[in-house]
Amino acid sequence: MSLSLRIEHLSIRAGLTLLVRDISLTLTAGTPLTLLGESGSGKSLVMHAIMGSLPDGLQAHGQIWLQLPGQPAQELLRLPAAQRQALWGRTLALLPQEPWLALDPTMTVRQQVQEVHQQVRGLSAAQARQQALDNLQNVALHDAVVSQPPVAERYPFQLSGGMCQRVAIAMADAAGGQVLLADEPTKGLDEALRDSVAQQLLREAAGQRLLLTITHDLQLAQQLGGVIGVMRGGELLEVTQAQQLLQQPRHDYSRRLLQADPGRWPVRQPSWTDTGGQLLEGRGLSKYMGGRCLFSGLHLRLQPGQITAITGPSGCGKTTLGNILLGLLPADQGQVIRTSGLTSLQLQKLYQDPPSAFAPHLTLAQGFNDLQRRHGFSDKELAVLLERLGLHPSLLQRLPAAISGGELQRMALARALLLKPRLLLADEATSRLDPVSQQQVMLLLGDLCAEQGLALLLVSHDQALVARMADQVVSLEAHGVTA
Amino acid sequence: MNSTVVTSPTTDIHAALAQAARPQPSRWAQRLGWGLLLVVSGFALLGPWLISADPDRQDLLNALAPFGGHDWLGTDPYGRSMLARLAHGAQLSFLLALLTTLMAVVPGVLLGIVAAWRGGWLEKALVALADMIMALPGLLLVLLVIAFAPGHFIPLCLGLALALWVEFFRISRARSAVILQQPYIEATRMLGFGPGYILRRLLLPALAPTLLTLASFAMSTAIIGISTLSAISVGVRPPTAELGSMIVELLPYYAEAPALVLLPSLLIFLLVLALQLISGGRKS
Repeated sequence: MSLSLRIEHLSIRAGLTLLVRDISLTLTAGTPLTLLGESGSGKSLVMHAIMGSLPDGLQAHGQIWLQLPGQPAQELLRLPAAQRQALWGRTLALLPQEPWLALDPTMTVRQQVQEVHQQVRGLSAAQARQQALDNLQNVALHDAVVSQPPVAERYPFQLSGGMCQRVAIAMADAAGGQVLLADEPTKGLDEALRDSVAQQLLREAAGQRLLLTITHDLQLAQQLGGVIGVMRGGELLEVTQAQQLLQQPRHDYSRRLLQADPGRWPVRQPSWTDTGGQLLEGRGLSKYMGGRCLFSGLHLRLQPGQITAITGPSGCGKTTLGNILLGLLPADQGQVIRTSGLTSLQLQKLYQDPPSAFAPHLTLAQGFNDLQRRHGFSDKELAVLLERLGLHPSLLQRLPAAISGGELQRMALARALLLKPRLLLADEATSRLDPVSQQQVMLLLGDLCAEQGLALLLVSHDQALVARMADQVVSLEAHGVTA
Repeated sequence: MNSTVVTSPTTDIHAALAQAARPQPSRWAQRLGWGLLLVVSGFALLGPWLISADPDRQDLLNALAPFGGHDWLGTDPYGRSMLARLAHGAQLSFLLALLTTLMAVVPGVLLGIVAAWRGGWLEKALVALADMIMALPGLLLVLLVIAFAPGHFIPLCLGLALALWVEFFRISRARSAVILQQPYIEATRMLGFGPGYILRRLLLPALAPTLLTLASFAMSTAIIGISTLSAISVGVRPPTAELGSMIVELLPYYAEAPALVLLPSLLIFLLVLALQLISGGRKS
C-alpha cells in the first residue's frame, strides 16, 4: 500500500456542542489537499485532530487511518497519547502559523535545523551540520551573493517572514516527516513572499509526501492546485478538483467565497470628487529607521471622503507613514498639518490583528460601557451602529477571544465610529480575515466614506484590493517613493 | 449596504473554543484557600481576645505540660500557655508581615509602572537604585534602619520592606513594559482615555495575578525575616510572643517536645498555603 491518510466520519465535540460534523477526506501522495474556510469554520480543528493536539475539553470521534508504505495502517485516534507524540516530527510535520514566533530566537537557523538531525535522527554534529546546510539549500536559503552574515548563520529576527516559513519547511524536511500539515502558511506575508512559500510547498508535495494545507487565502489554494475542500460552520461543504472548484463552484458558499476575492470585486463607483477641501496634509515627510531611509520629502494631501492607499512590500514603512500622519510617531523631517478644528479624537485606527486591539480580560460590553462613560453616546446609537455593521448584540457579552476575527474587526470599527472620526487609518485591517469578512469590512468602509465624508487611509500590500478601493495611491518602494 | 445579514451567534466555534481553552479554575482549591485564610486569620484576630490566659505568665512548675491538660496545647519550657502564645504570636506576626508586604508592594509596583511608562533617564535611575539594593545583603539593610529606633516595630517592617520592594519593582516593570507595547494600549489612548484609566482598568488587572502570588511569598519571607531578626535579638524582644521568635526559642527542646516547634511553623505554613491557593486559582 502506498502512503495515504484517510479521515472517516470525523466529528469533534466540546461537551455537547458539535464543532466539526462528520468529515471524510482522503490524502494521497502527489495531490495536495487544501481546506478553505473562514476562521471558525473548524478547519484548524481537523488538523489538530490529525496531529493529536486538540485543546483539552475537545473530543474527536470517527477514524483517521494513516497508511505508511510497507506497514499496516494505523488508526490515529485510538493510539495512546505517547505513541501519537512519537509520530510528531518523524511522520507528522506541522508547519506552524507565523513561524517567526515559533522559531527559537536565540539560535541561528542552521543550528535549529542541525539540532533536528542530531536529536531526532541521531547524527554526529559534523554530519548533521552538512545535512542542515543541504536542507537550507533545498528550500533556497543560501547566498546568491556573499552576504554578512550568511543566511544560514542568521537568527530568525534577521529573516523575512517568508524565509522563516522556509526554515520551518527545512526543519520538517530534516525530520523526514511524510505528512506535512501547513497551518495558514501565508498568514501575514505579502504577495511575493506568499508565492515563494507556495512554490516551496508544491516542491515538497511533488516528492513522496502528503500535503494538507489550511488557509483562507484563495490565491494560495489556486497555486497549490490538487484538491480543495470548502468548510463552513464545522461542515465540509464540497471537495473537488481545484480547477473545477475555482471555475464552477457547486455550493452557494463556495461561490460567495470566490466572489469575495478582491480581484473579482465589482468595480466601485468612485463617490469622492475633488472639492478642494482639505483634512490633513503631510509636507516633506522623511523617516529613517535603523540608519535606513524609509521615505524622504514625501508630500501628501488627504481630503474628506477620499480613500488614500499606502502600498508597497513588507518592511517599506507603510505603517510608519500612516502612524506619522495620525500623529502617533514623529517625522524626522517635514510636518503634518491638520485642518483647523480637527482633534486627535477624530483620528482613529483599525489594527491588523483585531484581538491585539482589545484588552483580553474585558468583555466587549465592558469596553463599550467604559467608552460610553467617557464620551456619552446613547444606547440607541450603539444598537443602530451594531446592526448596521451586521453584529448581533449578544456578541457583546463575550471576551474578544470568543468571537471571530471578522466580527472583532467590525467591533473595532464600531468603537472608532462612535467617536465620529473624520480620518480612519486601516492598517492592513483585513489582511488576516477570510475573503468574505474582508469584503464585508471593506464595503462598509467604502460606504462610510461616501455617506459621512470620512477620509480613509488604507495601508495594504494587496494590489488588487488597493486597485478596487483607492481614490489616491501612495506607493512606497524598498528605496525611495513614487506617488 | 443593505445586504449585511446580522449573523446570529448560535453554535459558535470561537465561543466554544474559548470556553474549552479556559483553564478550569479549580474552584475547590480557591474555596479551600479562602476557608483556611478565614480560620487562620480568625484565630489570629479573635484568639487573643477569646483566650483568657496571659501569654507571658510563667509557671515553671508546669513547664512542658502535654496536650489536653488545663492548657489545651500544653505549655512551653517556661510553663506559659502555648495556645495563648500562639494566638498572640499569630496576631503580631501576621500584622507585621501584612504591613511589611504592603510597604514593599505599593512603592515597588508604582515605581515599576512609572519606570516602564516613562522610560528614559528615570527608568535607568530607578533600575540602578534597585540593582544597588539587590547588591546589599538584606540583613545589613534592616540593621541599618533598625539602628534608628531599636525595639520598635515600624522600623523593623520598613527595613524588611526596603529589601523586598525590589522584586515587585522588577516584575511589574518587566510585565508593564510588555503590556504597554500592545496595540490595545495605543487604541485605548486614541479613544480618549487617560493614564488613570489605563492603569486602573488595563494594567493593574493584568499584573494582579502575578503580584498576588509574589505577595503571598513576600509575606512568608517577612515572617521568617522577623523571626531571624528576633533570633539575633534585634527584632521582637522577649517575652513578646511572635511566631518566628517562638520557633527559635523552642528549637532547643525539639527532642523532648517536637510538637511545640511544629505548632508555630504549622501556622505560618497554613497562612502561606491559604494565600497560595487563593492566588493560584486566579491564574488565567
